[in-house]
Amino acid sequence: MTDRPDDPDTPLAPFPTALPQSPFPPLDGETAPYLEQQEIEAPPAEAVVAEEVGDWIETADAHDLPTAPEPVPANPLLALGRFAFPPGEPPDEEGLAARDRRWTSRVIVVATVFLLIFNIASVQNWTRQQAPGWVTTTVDRLAEVWSEQMASLGADRPRETVREGYERAREARWSASPLAGEGGPEGRMSGTETQTR
Amino acid sequence: MLFPTLAFGVFFLFVYFTAWSLDRENGRRKLFLLLASWVFYAQWDWRFVGLLIASAVLNWGVAAVIARADQAGRRKLWVGLGVAANLLILGVFKYYGFFVEQAGELLARVGWERDLPLLEIVLPVGISFFTFQGISYVVDVYRGRTPPAKSLLDVMLLMSFFPHLVAGPIVRASDLLPQFDRVPRLTREMAAHGFLLIGWGLFKKTVIASELSVRLVDPVFFDPSAYGALDLTAAVYAYAVQIYCDFSAYSDMAIGTAALLGYSFPRNFDQPYRAKSMQDFWRRWHISLSSWLRDYLYVPLGGGRKGLVRSCLNVFITMLLGGLWHGAAWTFVAWGALHGGVQVIERLGRAAFGDRKVIPTWIGVIVTFHIVCLGWILFRSESFPMAMEVLAGLGRFEAATMVTPFLLTLIVGGLLMHWLPPRAVEGIATWLKPAPSLTMGLLVGAALLLVEAVRPDGVAPFIYFQF
Repeated sequence: MTDRPDDPDTPLAPFPTALPQSPFPPLDGETAPYLEQQEIEAPPAEAVVAEEVGDWIETADAHDLPTAPEPVPANPLLALGRFAFPPGEPPDEEGLAARDRRWTSRVIVVATVFLLIFNIASVQNWTRQQAPGWVTTTVDRLAEVWSEQMASLGADRPRETVREGYERAREARWSASPLAGEGGPEGRMSGTETQTR
Repeated sequence: MLFPTLAFGVFFLFVYFTAWSLDRENGRRKLFLLLASWVFYAQWDWRFVGLLIASAVLNWGVAAVIARADQAGRRKLWVGLGVAANLLILGVFKYYGFFVEQAGELLARVGWERDLPLLEIVLPVGISFFTFQGISYVVDVYRGRTPPAKSLLDVMLLMSFFPHLVAGPIVRASDLLPQFDRVPRLTREMAAHGFLLIGWGLFKKTVIASELSVRLVDPVFFDPSAYGALDLTAAVYAYAVQIYCDFSAYSDMAIGTAALLGYSFPRNFDQPYRAKSMQDFWRRWHISLSSWLRDYLYVPLGGGRKGLVRSCLNVFITMLLGGLWHGAAWTFVAWGALHGGVQVIERLGRAAFGDRKVIPTWIGVIVTFHIVCLGWILFRSESFPMAMEVLAGLGRFEAATMVTPFLLTLIVGGLLMHWLPPRAVEGIATWLKPAPSLTMGLLVGAALLLVEAVRPDGVAPFIYFQF
């Protein structure tokens, strides 16, 4: 039985007898439905939400239903590692700064070593363009020995390959150009002051 | 000591590791950077290190007096004296010969020929830059925009810091002095950004600018009468690309070098050849100079506050003096007048048509670029007759003899780089930031190897060193 006089005698159950509160304001002239009184007595929203929701929906496909995530099996080695070497405290501001500086310094060192291996020819070029002196002579001799060692390992090839490709592109001429095959425009060039590198 | 040289590479490695090993004591770190900057500057001419020190002491003293002065009149007097002293230094070293020569010619024309005292004064490298920096410091303290430096050391380092010392960017006191207060923090992002800027700058300077300069621009401008329209047009476009790649490369390497030492410099270029008006061009080209001219010349002249006619006059005077700042020659004055004149026309156009879009953007870009190129003819030519020869040759149709597929690729590539995403370098730096140091080191090494493999032997000084 219900509290309303016009309600049928037969209870409406199992259909819902209380509608959840609408999130929208009522339209102009709209009266509250017959369950107005019951709405006041409706359980709080949390309780409604907390109700277990049935997973049977007529229009739904079984594949749409949420499934519990598969438990990730713990990596025993990882667990052992964490047990043996527990992670330290997260670094503070100063620690982060020091970490970034170390990263930058390592980048510079790696790049320098890389260039010393693959680009030693630049050092030789530089020393040959300097005025003679004990520094340049020493650097030149060291660079020469180092360059021979690197060349025997083939470390000079990448630079040479790039250089050769670049030279070919630079010397390319239009087929109808009067300079094609004449060595390019350098013949008409005036000298340009350059500073040795 | 030029940036793209092995000598600078060794110098920078030493400075980098020593500076960061002194990170526990900021004062010592700054002192070391100051000494390193003087060593860097002394590579050109050690005598001018004294001038640099004198200029810093002068500006520090004047700013300290201004900050302590109570009366507005005295503050005004001191700021006037400070600016005048800076301009005197600039005038003596940069413009003395020019003005004496002009005065001699003028006197000869009116029949009062005199032997005026001509002096062979060597132009200290970067004097225009550090003088402007000194002026901005004194004026900013006067205006209350920046407090006076806490020590003479700070002012000396502000004016002498080697990344920006010889060709900018013109870093304001309000940008750099607060960074001197404590040991800076170097983040991975800053470092990645710095590496990229240095690599990109090296490529632009040693490959694009050098090749175009040696193989096309220098020969054509050496004897313009020997070439036809196609070669001259290509040379003018090539010079536009060359000067951009040359100067922006210096700025990039300066910003990158400073970033690796933990300091942040303002941006100096923002894809200038995609500007759709001359005003837009000056918001993208040598931004630190154009904003300096705006704040310390255009605004004190009255800016746009005194009506249309006055604002046109102010912008014209500003650009004219901006032209003269570039060099003591009438070609530079004419270059400034061209830029000022076009900006006046643009202002009048805006006054007449309002914000209505009269011409499509792409037409604006093309027209602006060609006006800028016309200006570059004046800028590159050693004299007016030579500039006239270039202009006359543009109407003389002959077969192109200088332009090769390689040079054309460099010109087109140099222009197309203006249509890359506006913050491409920053974006790539953010993307590379999480990379392990080994990967990043190999990438940096490989990039530098590529540049080293293709660059010509030797490197010409940066164009803006002469200013």
